[in-house]
Amino acid sequence: MFRWIVPALVLSVCVAARPAIGGEPAHDDPDTFFELKVRPVLAGTCIKCHGPKKASGGLRLDSREGMLKGGDNGPVVVPGDPEASPLVLAIRHDDEVLKMPPTKPLPKAVVTDLTAWIASGAPWPKASALGGTIQGVSHWAFEPLRDDLPPSDPSGWSDQPIDRFLAAGHREHGLRPVEQADRRTLIRRASFDLIGLPPTPEQVEVFTNDTRPDAYERLVDSLLASPQYGERWGRYWLDLARYADTAGDNSDYPVPRAYLYRDYVIDAFNTDVPYDRFLHEQLAGDILARQGPPEDYARLVTATGFIAQAKRFGTRKLEDIHQIIEDTLHTTSQVALGLSLRCARCHDHKFDPITAKDYYALYGVFASTQYPFAGSEEDKRASELAPLIVPEAVAAREAAHAEELAKLKSEINRIETDGELGRKVAELTQQLAEAEETLKGSESSTREERQHAVDLLKGEHAKAKGELDTVLKPKRADLARREKESPLDEASLAYSVREGTPTDVKLQKGGDPNALGDVVKRGVPQALDPGADLAIPEGGSGRLALAQWLTGPVRHLTARVMVNRIWQHHFGRPIVATPSDFGLRGSPPTHPELLDWLARDFIDSGWSIKAMHRRIMLSKGYQLACTHNPANAEADSGNVQHWRADRHPLDAEALRDTLLSLGGNLDTSQPGPHPFPPMDQWRFTAHHQFKAVYPSDHRSVYLMVQRLQPHPYLSLFNGPDTSMSTAVRDHSTVPLQALYLLNSPFVHDQAERFARALIDQEPNPESRVRLAYLRTVARPPSDAEHALTLTFLDQYAHSLDGESLTAEQRERQGWTALARSLLASNEFIYVD
Amino acid sequence: MARDLMPRRTFLERTAALASAGGLGLYHGLARSAELNGGHPLAPKLGHFPGRAKHLIVFFMTGGMSHMDTFDYKPKLQEDDGKSVGNHKVKGSPYAFKPYGESGKMVSELFENVGSVVDEFCFLHSVHGDSAGHSAATLGMLTGSVTIPMPSLGSWISYALGTFNTNLPSFVVLAGKDPYNSFQVWDSNFLPAFHKGVRVVPGPDPLPDVKSMTTSVTRRELEDRMLRDLNQAHLDAHPGDSNLSARMTSFDTAHGLMREAPEAFDISREAEHTLKLYGASADNRASFAAQCLITRRLIERGVRVVELFDVGSNTNWDSHNDIGDHRKLARNIDQPIAALVKDLKRRGLLEDTLIVGCTEFGRTPWQDLTPKGRGHHSRCFTCFLAGGGTRGGLSFGRSDDYGDGVAENPVHVHDLHATILHLMGLDHTRLTYRYSGRDYRLTDVHGNVVKSVLS
Repeated sequence: MFRWIVPALVLSVCVAARPAIGGEPAHDDPDTFFELKVRPVLAGTCIKCHGPKKASGGLRLDSREGMLKGGDNGPVVVPGDPEASPLVLAIRHDDEVLKMPPTKPLPKAVVTDLTAWIASGAPWPKASALGGTIQGVSHWAFEPLRDDLPPSDPSGWSDQPIDRFLAAGHREHGLRPVEQADRRTLIRRASFDLIGLPPTPEQVEVFTNDTRPDAYERLVDSLLASPQYGERWGRYWLDLARYADTAGDNSDYPVPRAYLYRDYVIDAFNTDVPYDRFLHEQLAGDILARQGPPEDYARLVTATGFIAQAKRFGTRKLEDIHQIIEDTLHTTSQVALGLSLRCARCHDHKFDPITAKDYYALYGVFASTQYPFAGSEEDKRASELAPLIVPEAVAAREAAHAEELAKLKSEINRIETDGELGRKVAELTQQLAEAEETLKGSESSTREERQHAVDLLKGEHAKAKGELDTVLKPKRADLARREKESPLDEASLAYSVREGTPTDVKLQKGGDPNALGDVVKRGVPQALDPGADLAIPEGGSGRLALAQWLTGPVRHLTARVMVNRIWQHHFGRPIVATPSDFGLRGSPPTHPELLDWLARDFIDSGWSIKAMHRRIMLSKGYQLACTHNPANAEADSGNVQHWRADRHPLDAEALRDTLLSLGGNLDTSQPGPHPFPPMDQWRFTAHHQFKAVYPSDHRSVYLMVQRLQPHPYLSLFNGPDTSMSTAVRDHSTVPLQALYLLNSPFVHDQAERFARALIDQEPNPESRVRLAYLRTVARPPSDAEHALTLTFLDQYAHSLDGESLTAEQRERQGWTALARSLLASNEFIYVD
Repeated sequence: MARDLMPRRTFLERTAALASAGGLGLYHGLARSAELNGGHPLAPKLGHFPGRAKHLIVFFMTGGMSHMDTFDYKPKLQEDDGKSVGNHKVKGSPYAFKPYGESGKMVSELFENVGSVVDEFCFLHSVHGDSAGHSAATLGMLTGSVTIPMPSLGSWISYALGTFNTNLPSFVVLAGKDPYNSFQVWDSNFLPAFHKGVRVVPGPDPLPDVKSMTTSVTRRELEDRMLRDLNQAHLDAHPGDSNLSARMTSFDTAHGLMREAPEAFDISREAEHTLKLYGASADNRASFAAQCLITRRLIERGVRVVELFDVGSNTNWDSHNDIGDHRKLARNIDQPIAALVKDLKRRGLLEDTLIVGCTEFGRTPWQDLTPKGRGHHSRCFTCFLAGGGTRGGLSFGRSDDYGDGVAENPVHVHDLHATILHLMGLDHTRLTYRYSGRDYRLTDVHGNVVKSVLS
């Protein structure tokens, strides 16, 4: 049974609005009001006597229908008219007979809230679980995909399926979509969207003058084919996978092999690995590897870095494994299913149909998995890393290693027993023993002489022994070192998971690993797929079965979640405003039919992410201009219905990459591993955490990021939170960002490089102004802007009159100042 | 060029009018839209009820400051020094205690300056937390969570109340060295980034990039004007997008920071007797004394929350080997803390400013690694409050005879947080933020306001 909400948990009032994630409703919307103000009272106070278990006076208050139908004395709620609603009279406690709750009156504020709710028509959220048992609850995200066809669009705006869904929304809200974006806007938008870099002036010119009917389609295809596409879109996945290059334990140990997973993700996006397959690889790549071709083995093992990335805790090897598994479950369920399981670790989920039993059924899958260990304060050596080579090769390496050790041992043995020195020592040992024996039994007359013989022998023996040791010492040291060495060198290991010992775990009561309940068989959340059973092969963890379940029986949810994420990054705003929460407390979709159509199309395309990009980007809805329209804004100020495109700012990576690119010093190669200090120098502890920032001219996706330390640049510009899965980045514009653009050495340096490049490329200042605008905002300046810019350059040059500078220095300083202004401007930072 | 689309005054009046209409929380949606129409995201907001304190200062003694060697006098511990209790050997305090002030509060020789103003302080001797590990306990004390990273105390307050001076950050962190878990302890996490603690490294350049690299005022102005002109022309051509004006506001604020921050951090402007009171010197801005003086300057200038860390994650209060190490650490903070209280009081700021002194945990009444040292002890330790509506001269809660367990009136870290929020005018059960499908609070599902400490 659904356990009703404990009022203390459902907090009565939310103090302030959520951040603006596009059209996410503010907390003053009716659903939220209901959830925060009404439901807790009904659930906590009224339902006991007027609910499914007991309907006192024939009245049930667990549904709107129940209230309208009323009890023995008729309806208790008249929507819109609190004064005529008996419920209100009852809770006011004015009437001795009617007063409810019978003993203690409700707090005044609660009476006011319920009255206000009835006055507003007693709206009941569609996605409410109230009134039903937890199993079998009807919730849009758990339903199969609808098969609505795109509605027809009588306005003739567009015949594309996506557009026809959008057009239906336009019609319903009396909106007229604005015009299509011009070519310059479009190529800048498409470039930043797909590769995170601006188009060059040449690319802009070619596209603007391309009169072929499929010019835009060609542009989209060429961007999708660019290797830089994976660096852009792989990054979104790395945000979800809470990717970091350190482990997150108390000393934040470096994980030198983590980058393999980063590069794997980028490559997977570039090669458009189908999303269902991609998910299988994330969760069970190591199992697939054993079934696949040997040349794919390393890639597939690397893929489970998704699991391995779970945060580590404490100071010892894999300490608090329950927390590591908790991180894995929380991340995986949010990322793949858009559901948070965290609550179910301690109790049945209060809002979503996830029970504690479900939680520990999934927990068992990961408890049967061997996580890698990066090393930590009290256990300095990394271990349990996953081999990147096939088991036979591992066996061969192990055999070779064992053989090498045996060889060393036997050589040591040989020198000791058969070698010339060895034999000599053995001989002398024996002679010495004999001589000492003789000495014991000798008379006093011969004693001195025999003592002398013993002493001589002792000297010889010590000398021979010393010689033998000199020969053996390095060999023994070599043996000791080799014995400690793993048979596999670092290059053949990854920070990935392996199959562990298969196990079903006991339920942890209240999330306490020491308070154990019954054993829970490994499996999947029952409410999502009633009666489902994971077919776990003998000896396996069940990860592959779990991954296949995600893209099988619950594919409707998995596909919805992923298309929503793709939509989110194209439009700056998802269809479901809470991309990692499709549960009952998440936001409902603004376009449910469209979301389902996209999910279906996604599955039909073979889960091709690139096909989904094309689908979305070729719609007219995507290609709209950003133009403001007062009439539309009046009806839909948040542009929820997509009557125009939303302008959005460059994120941290796109901004930095663009600054490097304009400065001409962006290194577009893949850099490989990070320059961590040599492992034998690591002495990291909680008191001396690992902490480093490595300068780099590579794309920002390749910067070394730590789980416990913010990257100074990325964190300033709202980069991902590496301590947890990030579905939506904060878009706050804070003054420290402005300070960075105004005063940081990096921006000054890049501006100067950009200025030099402009001067080198274009000798004529008038044309150079044009070039500067083309490169930063992909359009030429207006006449007014042209004049303004030249005036600025002129004044700036004048201001340098007193300084003893060469003409070139003066010119460069003026252009550098101009570059800084352009690079800090809104038009540069925002993509239309 | 003034470009307030909605003058701040109007914005505030409107927010206030809405708030007084009742149901403040739900109206914040409207307040936010007002913000987006030209108000400042850090503009001051009303709490749930009038707060006793407008500002918060937090001292965090990194490493775990001993309670029975500082403010929790335990004569029995001295008496039984060296005796065995269970598996432990009792360790008496090497420090002498004596009574101070009208309250006659027993304070150890480590804090004689605090002793001199002890009647302003309210001690909580029964604080207990959920972890005896440095990293987790630090997070617990400053974010309310010993496991999952959560928004920090200062971020919650900035989020709820905004600040009085938008030319300075709302939440300033003064830390010469990183504490355990570094930035996570002042991070805004899922709260908007405006509310992150802005960490200031004591020294000549307190804030990054606050100094212009262009020395000529003329050229700086030319460049600023060029940027403004570009943005204004763009704004005029692209109406209906409040993000554009919000970003322009952020540049105005940045210029405000460039103007005000260097002055705010510059203690050389202080009178000699004030420097002396703190034990600070104008040419050493990195000292803890200087940090305390800077704190007063920041509070005066309207900063909402200041958090100070005296030491970092090593060479700190973690006296496993020798509790004698506490002497040097205390000497570093005793006079400055007492001076800050005096200074705030004489300027009439103490009643509006809540001061909290805390640490990750206390230390064991037993010997630890050596007979001279003490281990980690989270079952019972001492924190202190001063100013901002607290009852001076009070010692609340009692530890047992050894300072081992709580004997009376336990105060969990969540209760301390609930009390701090209460003093700031916030109901800890109503200060929530919806994230990842549920409403989060600083106090999770726990916390009770310790009413006895309210004046």
